[in-house]
Amino acid sequence: MEDPGRKSSLAAWVWVLVAAVAVFELVAHPVIRAGVPSGDLWEDAAAFVRERFEPTDRIVAAPRWVDPIVRSYLGDLLSARSASVSDLAGVGRVWEVGVRGATRRSESPALEESFGGVRVRMWPVVTDELLFDFVEEIDRAEVDLFTEEGIQLCPWMQAKVRGGGLGHGPLPPPQRFVCDPARPWLWVGATVMADLDLEPRRCVWQHPAGREPVRATFRDVPFGDKLVAHGGLDYNNERTAGNIAVRLRIFIDDRLAGEMRHQDRDGWSRLEIDTTRLNGTTHQVRIETTAAKSHARTFCWSASTRRGQGER
Amino acid sequence: MTIPKLTTSDQLIGAALCVGYVMVLVWTAPDLTMSRDESFYAHAAKDYGAWVAELLNNPASALSREHIDRAWDYNWEHPAWMKLTFAWGWLVHQKLGVFSSESLAFRFPGMLTAGLLLWLIYAWGAVTMGRRGALFAALAFAMLPRVFYHSHLAAFDVPIAFFTTLTAYAYWRALSDRRWALFAGLFFGFALATKHNSWMLPGIFLIHYLWVRRQYALADRLDRPTVSWLPSMLVLGPIVLIATWPWVWHHTSSRLLAYAQFHLRHVHYTYEYLGVSYFEPPFPISVPFVMTLFTVPLTIVVLALIGLVYRRAVLAPPWKTKRGNATDTKADVLWLGCLAAPLLAIALPSSPVFGGTKHWITAYPFLALFAGWGFVAVVGLATHTLSAQRRWPAWAFAALCLAPGLAQTAHSHPFGLSHYTPIAGGVPGAADLGMNRQFWGFTTGSLADWLVETLPDGGTVWTCDTTWGAWKMMQADQRLPSNIRPARSMAQADLVLVHHEPHFNEVDFQAWMAFDDVQPMYVLTYDGVPIISVYQDRR
Repeated sequence: MEDPGRKSSLAAWVWVLVAAVAVFELVAHPVIRAGVPSGDLWEDAAAFVRERFEPTDRIVAAPRWVDPIVRSYLGDLLSARSASVSDLAGVGRVWEVGVRGATRRSESPALEESFGGVRVRMWPVVTDELLFDFVEEIDRAEVDLFTEEGIQLCPWMQAKVRGGGLGHGPLPPPQRFVCDPARPWLWVGATVMADLDLEPRRCVWQHPAGREPVRATFRDVPFGDKLVAHGGLDYNNERTAGNIAVRLRIFIDDRLAGEMRHQDRDGWSRLEIDTTRLNGTTHQVRIETTAAKSHARTFCWSASTRRGQGER
Repeated sequence: MTIPKLTTSDQLIGAALCVGYVMVLVWTAPDLTMSRDESFYAHAAKDYGAWVAELLNNPASALSREHIDRAWDYNWEHPAWMKLTFAWGWLVHQKLGVFSSESLAFRFPGMLTAGLLLWLIYAWGAVTMGRRGALFAALAFAMLPRVFYHSHLAAFDVPIAFFTTLTAYAYWRALSDRRWALFAGLFFGFALATKHNSWMLPGIFLIHYLWVRRQYALADRLDRPTVSWLPSMLVLGPIVLIATWPWVWHHTSSRLLAYAQFHLRHVHYTYEYLGVSYFEPPFPISVPFVMTLFTVPLTIVVLALIGLVYRRAVLAPPWKTKRGNATDTKADVLWLGCLAAPLLAIALPSSPVFGGTKHWITAYPFLALFAGWGFVAVVGLATHTLSAQRRWPAWAFAALCLAPGLAQTAHSHPFGLSHYTPIAGGVPGAADLGMNRQFWGFTTGSLADWLVETLPDGGTVWTCDTTWGAWKMMQADQRLPSNIRPARSMAQADLVLVHHEPHFNEVDFQAWMAFDDVQPMYVLTYDGVPIISVYQDRR
């Protein structure tokens, strides 16, 4: 049987529980703040990476939310491409600069060093050899709009970069192919886009004009054993689940080699074309985008030819 | 039921809380750049103020439909009452220069409602739970970090918390004293004229009223509470709303309908919660509860829960009442309704995606009142262990329970909306959990000195989520010189600001493209968490 006296005497000690909660908050607050690495520690960690950095290395932040801090210390070693790759192709080593014990890789690193709360880890990685990066070579392409009236060339030009802001999508580069000044979104060029997961993607903006394809043609592309492409829509459109698919078609020497049909919410999608039979040769590659309707089909793609069987 | 009268000492304590809090707000306000919404309301207040000035000088002209429409068209989606008070603050400042800055002139009326709300919490607490619990409740509310942030602003959130609480108080008094019915209607009018959160008040009151009536009936009490508050609210409420809002003096029904539809079909904000950026319903039901747990000091949450348990007998449903039972007008039931309704409204899967604690801030005065009861309960239960004969142990315990709120609130300033309590792991813990980092672009104020130092000869800045109105207010307040101008286009700016929230990542990537550079020149952090990145055109 329950003892009321014992119950009330226990209740009399509730204040201890409340006081303990208050003490926990009072202690936890400075403890959390004390765990924040100082600028000096970030400097030391950055110097450690900088001394050992090689051009094919990639630097990542862990957790992802410290990425701006990592870039503020080591961003001069990064390009828009290396900060926003689709996979690890062409990368020799991955450096991870992190706090709070966070990591982006599960395996043991080849090198690890701690600078107070900042931890540097490094992994050598075996990845595909990158032979030709279409995004970085976009200025070598020929771009046209295939219409019923014929082929309309899109000249490569220096154009003004305007705007920016939430919901505006990727910013165009100052040099790009301009297909129709009356349709300011109808340009082709290398940019960085936020994908469905809000990750940066270095890619070629090639917004479909409708059913008539926008085409980017590359000559003398060296081939390995595969051509890997990725594609997706800008976050603002990708997330809305519309029903107009974008088709990305890749032609090698005018023959359809691969196709991606991209629906909203597919996210940053991968297409791999086996090119073993073309290994060691050069060919013309044409990349086309179409959609039943052009509205809000903010499509961007990346592609490369590669050799090897490395990790992604 | 006889409600104890407040003594002169009580009123003095309430007044001291009010004045003291307003003084702290005035003192700390310069650290806070105007938020996005404030800049819109300040713009509206200037329009309205100009119309008020015209009304005083040339009433016939001011009252013409054309002039009313021209002056009141801007920001028609919110009623006018608080914007009118902001306008008065600005007009007084224009004439007398009484405020130290232009932003303070707009903000002062809102600050005043924050101070008055403390007074009201204390007063209501004092007549229900006594002075000690009341004082604890008022101080607990004052030291909620997010409340402290919102209390500074020329916005509607703390004012609607004040008018909601004031209306509830008047309604509760009206149940036993018919004279208060008039005030219930009047205050409800000001609540309606402040923000649409007020729409739920009649529903809460009606449930409470039926609850109390049923208890009185079951207890066979003859002195049943009066319903005079209801016609008063239904009549006076709309009158005050319309009287204080010239925009609806013409096309009244269509404009009121448009106002209602704007909020019933409100756009969805993008809001990060537990690692997901929500942009369409359903928003998780847990949002208001988890956000409350993560932003209200845990000690206050625990005490509020203890207070609810302590008052469970009073909160018992009406059908448990027996004939002859003592009963009263059940302030606790009303408080529970006012606490639960705003949280549940946001928790509804069909509600628009908001996320900011400001959307249910009207619940927090009642959370604080229950925390007051919790404090009273714990001290009462501890009479044997906390030395009941002496006062100091209870005061020391109160100080200990309020200290986390004080420490967290002090540390939260001027990053109020970015602050999270230790139960979330603090600011970095919340970043790990994927909680919203900020909104409204208000954190730019924390960069002002750095911008002045970095651009000694002036320059242009792309201001991201900080509006041009807010930027110009920083200049009017002399926090930024006039030669540091906002830039329309990112690529043409000398500096680009990026306010960090996941869905602003696209802006970060735009900055990379604008300057062909992924390296921020400077990252403003709060407890090690990036708040703003600044990119410089180094080309």
